[in-house]
Amino acid sequence: MKSEKPFVRLDHVKFSYYSSRGEVEALKDIDFSVEKGSFVAIVGPSGCGKSTILSIISGLLKPTGGYITFYSEEFAPPKIGYMLQHDHLLEWRDVYQNILLGLEIRKLKTPQNLELIDNLLEKYKLANVKHQKPSALSGGMRQRIALIRTLALRPDLLLLDEPFSALDYQTRLSVSKDVYDIIKSEEKTAILVTHDISEAVAMADTVILLTKPPCRVKDIIPIEFEKHGISRDEVRNSKLFQQYFDEIWRELQNENTNQ
Amino acid sequence: MKTQINSSDGQRNYMRKAKLHKLLIFWCRILVFAGFLALWQTAASFKWIDSFYFSSPLAIAKLFVHDIRDMSLLRHIGITLLESGLSFLLIIVFSVITATFFWFYPSLGKMLEPFLIVLNSLPKSALAPLIIVWLGTGPRTIILCGMSVGIFGCILNLYQAFEQTDPERLKLIETLGGNKLQKFTKIVFPQNIPTFISIAKVNIGLALVGVIIGEFLAGRQGLGYLIIYGSQVFKLDMVILSIVILCAIAMLLYGMLNLLNKKIIALWQ
Ligand SMILES: Nc1ncnc2c1ncn2[C@@H]1O[C@H](COP(=O)(O)OP(=O)(O)OP(=O)(O)O)[C@@H](O)[C@H]1O
Ligand SMILES: [Mg+2]
Repeated sequence: MKSEKPFVRLDHVKFSYYSSRGEVEALKDIDFSVEKGSFVAIVGPSGCGKSTILSIISGLLKPTGGYITFYSEEFAPPKIGYMLQHDHLLEWRDVYQNILLGLEIRKLKTPQNLELIDNLLEKYKLANVKHQKPSALSGGMRQRIALIRTLALRPDLLLLDEPFSALDYQTRLSVSKDVYDIIKSEEKTAILVTHDISEAVAMADTVILLTKPPCRVKDIIPIEFEKHGISRDEVRNSKLFQQYFDEIWRELQNENTNQ
Repeated sequence: MKTQINSSDGQRNYMRKAKLHKLLIFWCRILVFAGFLALWQTAASFKWIDSFYFSSPLAIAKLFVHDIRDMSLLRHIGITLLESGLSFLLIIVFSVITATFFWFYPSLGKMLEPFLIVLNSLPKSALAPLIIVWLGTGPRTIILCGMSVGIFGCILNLYQAFEQTDPERLKLIETLGGNKLQKFTKIVFPQNIPTFISIAKVNIGLALVGVIIGEFLAGRQGLGYLIIYGSQVFKLDMVILSIVILCAIAMLLYGMLNLLNKKIIALWQ
């Protein structure tokens, strides 16, 4: 599934916020690339600029320095799906209409796309809540619906900004697994921002560690369960998982105590 | 999903008591009102109060029936309703357009906001004589008076509600590839419909106030005119009857919007 071709590359990307309270240098020097079909997790201290990186990749913010390059076989920029921290399901629309939001905006309500939505709802066991209001649903369901809203636009690259942070621990485990399975079975490339180390290790092929602000890449750690013959469903119980966890924990700890 | 009510004796008992209580309150209200009318009528009949100044329920009822028969009252009511309705509609249309415009051009909104605040804190009846000088007497003046009371506050409240839209939701539209127009049509406007209804609820009352002020000063017809005319020729029956009808109209309009409000809120959950 993993090809060695880069899909997105960030070259010395810098970003500063300017406001009346002064300049905030959020990103100092960000360098990494993401391969097609891979699952990358970004971990770092809070406020270090993780969301800013996603906003830059999605094009909502323009870097103040450096380059961002997309590689694609077609002569078109890749489609990017961006899932924000909260599900932001609109309370005046039912589940189905919420999922349609992106298609309405892009004027893409084609029969094929509507069919895709129906399939996704069916596949991920949400068809029975299709016409309910979001307020009637659990946090985990809402998050999966938000994911389907993003997938409806058939993105090549998924950006997930702490999508599970609003959920309680139990739900979090099961929804993160669901989301992982969905992303893998739809063969998407994904970048996940999280401050939960175990979540990062359990889901990603690569973990990118960031420094405190102004933010740089501290380390890039490949996560290689498959090489050791451990399937993704049981990684959390493996020794290797603990090793990865400890390694990342230590590095983050250093980061927080330094200076 | 239906929640189970009446699941136990305790619950059933509670529900019955709550219902009884509600019924009791309702009948007490009726009783208070009837008692008030009875007291008023007795006081007038036994000449405890001078019914020339204070009128009496029976006299008012008689006048009501008489004036309804000769159609004059209905015409006055109709005129006041029409003028209030038009003022209200104009307030709403104008405010929505202006507030929307301000949202699309925030610098314009920021620039004009202090002017609106000053105009809104003005006692609006002070404007009425000016409007009469500009437009003369007649329906146009009265409708403008009706608008003048509510419109500045309406624009301000609506604009401020639009402004307070969660920026993360607007970002959601951006992540889905939407532009500013779609931010407005998909988020800002629908999200503020409940606010809009409660603003409308206030403004229908304000439109009525404005129209009555207008009719006091520049009317030849309408309930405001009846009140002023009645007080000048000492037909106090007529004055009080008009006030009672105004009460009824206000209640009716408010009730209608309340109903609409409930429907919309239910849709929004
Ligand atoms: N609109 C803004 N204006 C000014 N400064 C900002 C703005 N948005 C973010 N920042 C600052 O930039 C830095 C990076 O913000 P960012 O949201 O990318 O961090 P984050 O790693 O996602 O944080 P968190 O863990 O809280 O989600 C922070 O110090 C933040 O205070
Ligand atoms: Mg963030």
